[in-house]
Amino acid sequence: METLAETQAAAANPFNYGTQIWALFRLAPRAGRFPPATPGVVLGKAGTPAAHSVLSLALQIDDGEVVDARFQAYGCPTSIAVGAWIADWAIGKRVAELAALTATRLRNELEIPDERAHCALLGEDALRAVVALMKQEPL
Amino acid sequence: MIYLDYAATTPLDERVFEAMLPFLKPDGLHANPASSHGPGFRARAAVERARGEVAALIGAEASEIVWTSGATESNNLALKGALEFRGMPAAGRAVHIVTARTEHKCVLDTCRHLETLGVRVTYLKPDRNGVVTPEQVLAAITPDTALVSLMWVNNEIGAVQDIARLAPQLRERGILLHVDAAQAAGKVKIDLRSVPVDLMSLSGHKLYGPKGVGALFVRRKPRARLAPQMHGGGHEQGMRSGTLATHQVVGMGAAFAIAAADFEADVAHISGLRDALWQRLRDLPGVHRNGPDGSAEQPLAPHVLNLSFEGVEGESLRASLADVAVSSGSACSSATAEPSYVLRALGHDDELANASLRFSFGRRTRLDEVEQVAVKVRQQLQWLRELSPLWKP
Repeated sequence: METLAETQAAAANPFNYGTQIWALFRLAPRAGRFPPATPGVVLGKAGTPAAHSVLSLALQIDDGEVVDARFQAYGCPTSIAVGAWIADWAIGKRVAELAALTATRLRNELEIPDERAHCALLGEDALRAVVALMKQEPL
Repeated sequence: MIYLDYAATTPLDERVFEAMLPFLKPDGLHANPASSHGPGFRARAAVERARGEVAALIGAEASEIVWTSGATESNNLALKGALEFRGMPAAGRAVHIVTARTEHKCVLDTCRHLETLGVRVTYLKPDRNGVVTPEQVLAAITPDTALVSLMWVNNEIGAVQDIARLAPQLRERGILLHVDAAQAAGKVKIDLRSVPVDLMSLSGHKLYGPKGVGALFVRRKPRARLAPQMHGGGHEQGMRSGTLATHQVVGMGAAFAIAAADFEADVAHISGLRDALWQRLRDLPGVHRNGPDGSAEQPLAPHVLNLSFEGVEGESLRASLADVAVSSGSACSSATAEPSYVLRALGHDDELANASLRFSFGRRTRLDEVEQVAVKVRQQLQWLRELSPLWKP
């Protein structure tokens, strides 16, 4: 029997989301939370339920470098894809590199159309929240 | 792909397709039904037979059926035509319409247009199940009320209005009653011999007929009079000019004849599927049924199940069910589009209205498809909730 991930990956994309957005939405790698008491986890959030988009980004830091990442998202497929992309991209990055990621780059990487620009901003905001905490409390 | 969107449109019934074919072939019955020669008479006979078939399903006379391009045109013709005939607002003459907030967009938009011409419109707020009571309608009536327009069955939630109880009370008061029955024909019993509706809109493609054809029932006794909105050759007793699309008309007639013959079986089949899906989802936490529950106190059309899902965003919910064709209360392509105005009119909050799906069932839907959809909905709901930072089980 095929797994849920396989079923989801194989599903057609009748709504014409970008190829990458669709793949990340369907598979959502690194979705979820770290187990409680995982050391070195910094959590940043952005968005509001009223705006139909909330992104929660959890990065595990060891010696100033991201060693693992998780994300959770409530929102449209594009905002979920943004969370998945950032969580994957962040691995191995240090604070300065994390701080340099912009919504513009997210839009280019994921081919996010104009009417979804707010999803890229959501990603940038969540990452900035993490970076601000990392600067306060270096791990 | 599993198709559960029969309230949006139905596939053509195979028997309807066969009935239409002779009228589409180049060497077939192509003549203008208004022509006075042999082929024209044959085309006209087919049109008149179809008129009788449409009339029979609703307990009307054939001469009370006016062909249109669909229910949108029928609704426009009924509202604008009736008011224009009775006299539009002018100095010293006010005109008032009563309708409901949950009507189809084509009734609401027509009412808004009439408002720009000076007509006053009352948009009644239904109860939480989408029902507008006859008492509510009567309470909204003023000495200037010319017409009441209410749909028999709501397209999004399947709520059934008590037209049989409302109609005689409006007749007593000399107020015209227009009913949009696009979703009702073939789904609920309609007998206009005993229910004094004046005008009623019908659609071909909601009932396994072709798209692009509809009808307006215009009562003859007492005569409901309309000013035409399409001027021309005076077809359709002067109410709707334009050469009739014989093949479409024949298709709608065949579809309505089948709907009349198969009424009990159709209703049993689709209401069984609707209940089967609900039985397979009702135990999930945070799943709400929108509209009436189908009990004796809350009548429900047989073909619609509308559900809201807590803890998930509507667009992702719909996208996660990419291989199921259902209607969604969520925005389609724009970040600013509003959730369903029908669910909002029922008092549902925006978030729940956004995360809603309308499943609608038809003649070709199978139980195993409904079972598959139930599994998919359960899987995807769980997946999206696990993904959500907001969901608290």
